[in-house]
Amino acid sequence: MAKDPLAEAELHFDELNKLRILEPDVSQKTTELKEECEDFVDKIGQFQKIVSGLIELVDELAKEAETEKMKAIGARNLLKSAEKQREAQQQQLQALIAEKKMQLERYRIEYEALQKVEAEQNEFIDQFILQK
Amino acid sequence: MCLDRCTHRDLVSCVGWTTADELYSCSDDHQILRWNLLTGDTSVVVKLQDDIYPIDLHWFPKSVSGKKQAVSEIFALTSTDGKLHLVSKSGRIEKSVECHKGAVLAGRWNQDGTALITAGEDGQLKIWSKSGMLRSTLAQQGSAVYSVAWSPDSSRVLYTSGRQLIIKPLQPSSKLLQWKAHDGVILKVDWSVVNDLIVSGAEDCKYKVWDSYGRVLFSSSAHEYPITSVCWAPDGELFAVGSFHTLRLCDRTGWSYSVEKPSTGSLLSLSWSADGTQLAAACGNGHVLFAHVIEQRWEWKNFEITLTKRRSMQVRNVLNDALDVLEFRDRVIKASLAHGHLVVSTSLQCYVYSVKNWNTPLIFELKEGMVSLIQQTERYFLLVDGAELYVYSYEGRLVSSPKSPGVRMDMLNSQSVSLSNDTMAIRDTTDERVIFLFEVLTGKPIGDGKPFIHKMEVMFMALDQCGSPTDRRMALMDKNRDLYLTSVRTVGRAQSICKIGSMVDSMCWNDSANLLCAVQDNQLTVWCYPAVVFVDKELLPKTICTKDHSEFSRPPRVLSYVGTQVKVRRVDGSLVCRGMSPYPTLLHEYASSARWADALRLCRFAKDQTLWSCLAGMSMASRELSTAEVAYAAIGEADKVQYINFMKDLPSKDSCLAHALLFSGHVQEAESTLLQANLIYHAIQIHINLYNWDRALELAVKHKTHVDTVLAHRQKFLRDFSKQESNKRFLQYSEGVEVDWQKIQAKIEMEFAKEREQAANSSVRSSVSIRR
Repeated sequence: MAKDPLAEAELHFDELNKLRILEPDVSQKTTELKEECEDFVDKIGQFQKIVSGLIELVDELAKEAETEKMKAIGARNLLKSAEKQREAQQQQLQALIAEKKMQLERYRIEYEALQKVEAEQNEFIDQFILQK
Repeated sequence: MCLDRCTHRDLVSCVGWTTADELYSCSDDHQILRWNLLTGDTSVVVKLQDDIYPIDLHWFPKSVSGKKQAVSEIFALTSTDGKLHLVSKSGRIEKSVECHKGAVLAGRWNQDGTALITAGEDGQLKIWSKSGMLRSTLAQQGSAVYSVAWSPDSSRVLYTSGRQLIIKPLQPSSKLLQWKAHDGVILKVDWSVVNDLIVSGAEDCKYKVWDSYGRVLFSSSAHEYPITSVCWAPDGELFAVGSFHTLRLCDRTGWSYSVEKPSTGSLLSLSWSADGTQLAAACGNGHVLFAHVIEQRWEWKNFEITLTKRRSMQVRNVLNDALDVLEFRDRVIKASLAHGHLVVSTSLQCYVYSVKNWNTPLIFELKEGMVSLIQQTERYFLLVDGAELYVYSYEGRLVSSPKSPGVRMDMLNSQSVSLSNDTMAIRDTTDERVIFLFEVLTGKPIGDGKPFIHKMEVMFMALDQCGSPTDRRMALMDKNRDLYLTSVRTVGRAQSICKIGSMVDSMCWNDSANLLCAVQDNQLTVWCYPAVVFVDKELLPKTICTKDHSEFSRPPRVLSYVGTQVKVRRVDGSLVCRGMSPYPTLLHEYASSARWADALRLCRFAKDQTLWSCLAGMSMASRELSTAEVAYAAIGEADKVQYINFMKDLPSKDSCLAHALLFSGHVQEAESTLLQANLIYHAIQIHINLYNWDRALELAVKHKTHVDTVLAHRQKFLRDFSKQESNKRFLQYSEGVEVDWQKIQAKIEMEFAKEREQAANSSVRSSVSIRR
């Protein structure tokens, strides 16, 4: 086949008989590539959106987990301190009980003394009645 | 105790009362706050410079003798930067002095405000004048002095030195007293003005009570936290103890009345209001805590009264369980229940209730409203109100207001005043040996106005409550714990004072008869007729009855002796009631109304030696010889019976009286009685009988009669003991006088005849034969 002078000059015609620098197949492939690229960019964009959504979600979860963890720690501490508080309270109550016990002991002694007095007085009355 | 509290922004370090309802508090937030309890207001007095961290605050003592000052104007404030500040009431710093290296840990005025002592971290104690000039450095030691206190008479200073307590007199030559008091560093001490007791609190979590000689009276068990503050109440009956989350109210003997557990952190400082009803505490968490003393109880016969709230009391009649509630407009400050009346003082008024009627009290306004003492007798009661003392009747009439220069009435307490229906005794506040005696009705001093002066400091005295004013007697206990009895009104006789007991701890007169009850040598002892010492000293031991109190490890305190019941408070705080025999009271009643036959019947019925001894004493005191004879015979005192018989046979009343005096050992008075009645021979004879030769001769020579009688007896005496005459006067007189026993006998007969004649003439006694 004789060489097309145009081809030698690296010029081509397309189907619409327009003068082109690129070969028609190349040009077609280029267009295809371009389209495919656009497609790809679109898809990547979509993917990014999805992933960021995911990240957000995970972050939220993390946050929630963190607060829950803090809560748990707090609760644990509270429990511990409550234990101590109870101990302190118990100590205080014990002190108060000891105090009351001492008071009771004092009342007991007083009561015994009064009983003794009563007995003495009864004895005195009896003696008095008998002698008269 | 009931509590309420308010707040600062940072740790409160010290508190101090100005009046009964106003408190100043200092805190690490550099503010001084004023708390008004009546209105509930809190206001900032001043904001101090940022580098002043206050540690201790002490108000200048309020009533200084001479000028009346209702409210103190300045206070001493010590701080961490080693400075002492004198701050006015308005908060202006009048003066600041650099006084210690490191923090000044305590600053205290002495009792009359003439000196201030500061204690520093550098271990020094410095004394300052009122205006803030350095007077002297009292002591210096290697460790910080955490707390310091003045003795009641301001002559000594108590301070801490690590685990030791030191009492140092201000006089440089005197010896200091030092003892190991705790097992930890001592943080706070306080010395009561009223009862001379010391309380200390330390890091070994114990508080201890000491007397001023350093003997321990009470030691608490170890608590959970160190004791950070202690403070005596103004009346010396209570003290408060502060610790972490703890406020404790204790009796002076150490046992605790009540404990409160507020969540306030450590109580760093405590302060009682002047009336002793309110307590303020400086708390570690920035609160100021106010506590009120409630649940006080008074008992008398069948009535039981409790202070339920600050302003109300509950009266319970134990016999029928009837309840009455008494409401007051103001806070109750003091109350007293005795002799059928309840006297209550609030901050403005005084209420007098009769136990028969709780609905309509008698109310009168108080002059100052600072009642610190109420004492009652059957007819009157006394109030110490501010710097004055008033005696009122139960009808609310002001009877008198005794005054004595030099006595600070506001310092009086139940141990330094005693009231009876006609007489009042007040111990001097400066010299404790001196007791002033007053007529209650006029408020004037008794007799020549001279006070009674004992040879030693008097700890406690009490007047008897019954009988006639002329027989009023006072029992007093001195520093050696000896018990004495003396007559208050001594007409024409020298003041006699007789010791009736030793090792006495507390005492009380009976309210219905003159029986004295005391704790002697750990035993409850009742003197059934203490006045017997003035009649027949030897009878005294026989008129005492003791109740064995083996259960008392340490001496209890006698609280009251009403009717036949003695109420004592043991050291552990329990009240113990003891019944006493009712017979002595009855006997006193019979004796005072001269029903001697009844008295004899009672003694015969009771068959009790003590009772017979009392009767012997009583009848002798009122010269009721026939009763005395029976009584002495009953207790087997034959010699005395014989002497009484001899007395009965004496021809005249005068010689009888003289011999009764002689019987009680009052030779001087017997002699003067006889001389007054012109019975010179008798006077000489009693001296001869007592071998009191010089006086006998002196009388004989002076009255130019019976010189030979004296000489004759002297010769007989010398011959009996085969001695030679050595007395110059007798040698001199014996020269010119001839001794003729027959003549002497005749002369004596004549004397008796003469006396008989006189007696018959004055028809005092029917003629009595003489057997001699």
